[in-house]
Amino acid sequence: MINSENTKAQMRKGVLELCILSILSKGDAYPTEIIEKLKDTKLVVVEGTLYPLLTRLKNTGLLNYRWEESTSGPPRKYYKLTEIGEQYLKELQQSWTELVDAVNKTIEQGKI
Amino acid sequence: MNKTVTINISGIIFHIEEDAFEKLSKYLSTIKGYFSKTDGGNEIMGDIEARIAEMLQSKTSAVKQVVLMADVDSVIETMGKPEEFAGDSQTNSQPEEEDNSAEYATGEPVKKRMFRDPDNKTIGGVCSGIAAYFDVDVVWVRLAMFLLIFFGGVSLWVYIVLWIVIPEAKTTAEKLAMRGEKIDINNISRTVKEEAEQLKKRMQKYGNDIKNGDYSQPRNFFDKLADFLKDFFILFGKVFGRLVGLVLLVFGVVFLIGFIAAIFGIMVPGAKSEPHELLELIFTGRPYYSLGIFGAILLFCVPILMMFYGGIKLLFRIKYSNRWLNLSSGLLWLLGIILVVFVSVRTASDFAENGRVKNTVNIAQKDTLYLKVSDFKKSVPEMSDNEEEYTHYNRHGHRYIRINHHRDYVIANVGNTPMIGGYASLRIVQSNDDKFNLYVSKTAQGPERRFAMEQARNIEYKVTQTDSLLSFDDIFMAPFSEKFWAQDVELVLEVPVGKVIYLDKNISHFIHNVDNITNTYDGDMVGRRWIMTKKGLECIDCEGLEKDTDHDDFDGLPEPPQPPNPPTDLNVNVEDANVKIDKEGNIKVKSKNTEVEIGKNGIHVDKKDKDNKEK
Repeated sequence: MINSENTKAQMRKGVLELCILSILSKGDAYPTEIIEKLKDTKLVVVEGTLYPLLTRLKNTGLLNYRWEESTSGPPRKYYKLTEIGEQYLKELQQSWTELVDAVNKTIEQGKI
Repeated sequence: MNKTVTINISGIIFHIEEDAFEKLSKYLSTIKGYFSKTDGGNEIMGDIEARIAEMLQSKTSAVKQVVLMADVDSVIETMGKPEEFAGDSQTNSQPEEEDNSAEYATGEPVKKRMFRDPDNKTIGGVCSGIAAYFDVDVVWVRLAMFLLIFFGGVSLWVYIVLWIVIPEAKTTAEKLAMRGEKIDINNISRTVKEEAEQLKKRMQKYGNDIKNGDYSQPRNFFDKLADFLKDFFILFGKVFGRLVGLVLLVFGVVFLIGFIAAIFGIMVPGAKSEPHELLELIFTGRPYYSLGIFGAILLFCVPILMMFYGGIKLLFRIKYSNRWLNLSSGLLWLLGIILVVFVSVRTASDFAENGRVKNTVNIAQKDTLYLKVSDFKKSVPEMSDNEEEYTHYNRHGHRYIRINHHRDYVIANVGNTPMIGGYASLRIVQSNDDKFNLYVSKTAQGPERRFAMEQARNIEYKVTQTDSLLSFDDIFMAPFSEKFWAQDVELVLEVPVGKVIYLDKNISHFIHNVDNITNTYDGDMVGRRWIMTKKGLECIDCEGLEKDTDHDDFDGLPEPPQPPNPPTDLNVNVEDANVKIDKEGNIKVKSKNTEVEIGKNGIHVDKKDKDNKEK
């Protein structure tokens, strides 16, 4: 049987990538900042999820990072969207809008 | 009051309570375990640690300097359990658009690890753990363990080591990992291959980093090099660690079996083996002996068990280190060395000084001396009744201790006094004057010179001369009390030039490397007469022997004529006749038909056959 919690987790994970890219499109950020923003949206349950994802995005070439000294704590990794990343984000946003429209329509129809 | 530990996370120093530290370090190592297979796992680890440092920093202040358990708990809660954020993605079986999506979805079943099974245990759960690891029925493992007890108790040691090395499966995750994927050769070789692949990738990446001059990180080249070396050795260790582990384990088992067998040979009561008695005699009294054995056991056993321990850890990838165990085994080994050195020094000092007593035996000068060994039974008339108890007998039927080829020692009761007997040896050299000279040199060793001298003086040894016959005791005796003082007797016979000696056949084990001009072996020298020339001893009656230097071919040659043996009657047998010369010098010649007697009374002829007429 389908576990609703599991499905929700899958959905969150699927859009997490899009959210991270979106946040970074508005300016460079380091993981803690990204987490703060994501926490409001309840997309992140545990912070640990973020780090493997960021590393993967960076390794695919969508993100780049630079080190910045912090006044309070270890040096921070500021992530930045690369050109490929911006391109990729646009595509993702487009397909997301299409997907949401389609899904919404389906749900609406189901309700009637 | 709680003890705190100082730790460094991402370059920030924290004081953390001990229990909190343990929890945190366990948490971090679990995460590390999850990401160790993922590409960029080290980077992820670094990020996570940096975040943890940040969070902990926000929880400490000038007033509250110490990180508490509660802080660690809350960090873990925020960060999430490793299976939540790493393992979770396993359920995502849908292929994603990107090629390397599998990187953060580890996509493999839980990796199998060796644990002790607490739910299924008889003693420590070792057998059931092994059974789970190799996917066999626990009954077989237990049976094997039980049977191995009879091979010198090997499995007892093995079991104890395994019990210490293998951690218990406490959490559910560990219990799952214990049963995990089936382990077989394919599986192991696959993981080894993967690790080798990882090593290759990392090397390439490092090469690229150098080429591209990737200095995006605020770290210098040497930091990166150090990192690289660390990674390299970890991965290298992973690939070869298993092999090394296997080798260590095999050697450990072999040494263990050998060592246990050796101990049993020495220690088991009733097994009066030669080394056992020899050791007992050499070490002063029981305590040193036992101490020495104990030290030797530690000295050999500890490294063997540690080989075992290390081998198992490497082979089954058990990441579990017991500092107490390492420390105590090191100390035990050190103790073993100290004991062995101490006992050796003590024992050596018991033999530090030599005592030598040299006597000249007056012998009557003759043209020919006949040398023979007197019967041992005569020299020690009363041997003890309990001889039969002894398991080892020498050729005289006495318990003996063999020290080397030429020196056997006998322990026997003469009357009620225990005596130690040993074989004396004889050297034959050229005399500086025109006399036969015989020297008896008695030696012994002891802790002090006076003591050694006394021991040497206590040695009893007899040489008797009857006319021209020199009769040697082959055994010297000395009073024996628990301890052996390396007593020895050596005789030197000086033979003047031009004089003859005859070596009786029974003297072969008594003479020792007697030089002669034909380089004849001691064993071939007996039963012959030898004349001392300026060059050395020369054989008078061994025709054919000189040419034959090869000892083994000697069998084929005819037996040389039997030399005369004057102190007793001399008998010569020729085909049909017998010639007899008795002590008084009377000569009798007997043949089939005639008997001729020549003596003080003149010549007397006795004719048996009437056809043969004689005057």
